[in-house]
Amino acid sequence: MSHDIESRLHSALRPVAPSDEFSQRLLRRIVLRPVVQPEVRRIGAGGRHPLAWWLTASLAATLILAVGVHQHLQQQRLQQSGLEARREVMEALRMTSQKLNLAYEAVKSQSTSLTDEQSGA
Amino acid sequence: MNDGAADSLDEHLDRARSGERAALAILVQAHQRCVYSLALRMLGTRDLAEDLTQEVFMQMNGNLSAIESNRHLGFWLRRVTSNRAIDQLRRRARVQMTSLDQEPELFGVEADTDPLLQRHVQALLAELSPPARAVLLLRYQEDLDPVEIARTLDMPLNTVKSHLKRSLQSMREKTIGMPPVRWEDSST
Amino acid sequence: MRKYTLPLFFALLASAPAQAAPNPRLQIPSFSGLAQKATESVTITLDPALLGLAVKFLDGNDPQDAATKEALKGLQGIYVRSYTFDRDSAYQQADIDAVRTQLAAPGWNRMVETHSRKTHANVDIYIMLDNHQAIGLALIASEPRQFTIVNIVGAIDLDKLHKLEGQFGVPKLDSDASKPAPAPRK
Repeated sequence: MSHDIESRLHSALRPVAPSDEFSQRLLRRIVLRPVVQPEVRRIGAGGRHPLAWWLTASLAATLILAVGVHQHLQQQRLQQSGLEARREVMEALRMTSQKLNLAYEAVKSQSTSLTDEQSGA
Repeated sequence: MNDGAADSLDEHLDRARSGERAALAILVQAHQRCVYSLALRMLGTRDLAEDLTQEVFMQMNGNLSAIESNRHLGFWLRRVTSNRAIDQLRRRARVQMTSLDQEPELFGVEADTDPLLQRHVQALLAELSPPARAVLLLRYQEDLDPVEIARTLDMPLNTVKSHLKRSLQSMREKTIGMPPVRWEDSST
Repeated sequence: MRKYTLPLFFALLASAPAQAAPNPRLQIPSFSGLAQKATESVTITLDPALLGLAVKFLDGNDPQDAATKEALKGLQGIYVRSYTFDRDSAYQQADIDAVRTQLAAPGWNRMVETHSRKTHANVDIYIMLDNHQAIGLALIASEPRQFTIVNIVGAIDLDKLHKLEGQFGVPKLDSDASKPAPAPRK
């Protein structure tokens, strides 16, 4: 009896060949693709849960966008910092030269007075 | 598959690993029937089966370096197909197996297959849990013994035997009164 | 009239005794109390990183930028504190003593002390030497309504500083060491 049932099962469950059209399509896709592991996902009833696909794609897009925005903001901040540093350098050197000039003027003034005194003597 | 053919496929596997496209095509053709049948009888519709078949061979394409032999490839394909199908079924509502009358080509019925038997088998598959369904298919479609099934599905041997026992019991109840199957003639 | 050029501390560099050179970076107080009273405050802190960044934003095609770029070479830092008040004597000399004390330490050489009767400004310029090479400059300028502290750290190049002439109003420098020392402050 059991043997009979198993025979029926063997008979009914012989492997089934796919359609020729699918076979050709399969060969084209597998053989012509580079040897990496892309996974074909069909949205909807044909593949995995549709939400997972969209979620993954959304997350990836968000991540790429976030990285891009972050880099852009970093670049902007760097430029602002650089221009600010340049401004400070110019200001520092301007102030230094201004004070050096003060000293120069003072020395020059003293030198002039000394010379006037000597010639007046 | 005779030894000569197996050796040949081992050679094709070597050549496919080194990038030879023709060898890859031969491997796909040699194994697509098994993968497609498993997918079709697990998932219940041709579209789903074709998608899964394509996914499995895509995955194979990227993992050839890990495949040691053609025999190992067969084991790997059955394992991946079964597990992915089980995963899909668990995420979806129970697949409604349509009757033979509504979709006569649903399970790719061979020309010489008893339609009544097919109906019984379809009913049996429909009522089984995904893992039990996979066990049944690996046993009676792929001719694996329980130890090989346990290894393929990473399932305890006792669980495999339990599934098989229940499936046979259910099939027995469905086929009471049917004439016995003759080995030399399956087209009754 | 004997023309007196401004060598000042630069002209004396050759004769100045070489001394062991401690850190030319001054510890400048926060001056938070004075900052609150001041009508204008300038705080510039340019460490090596910021100086490096600033150099990148200097246009080599612009004469002023190009001269600045050259002057910055070898510098490790520029630190400026300046406070302006709306009335005379709003700050005390004692407020600046914390800095003067550091400049009395070994390593610093006071090269110039000037006082202007005209502007009532006192300017003291110090230099730190290492092997006859200037590695630091400190300047304290105190005026009735403003005081300024400048600390420059690094290899100060006379020639490059000279080339800034006219760019920021820096007077001509005479780096000839044979020129006599300036007259002392009264």
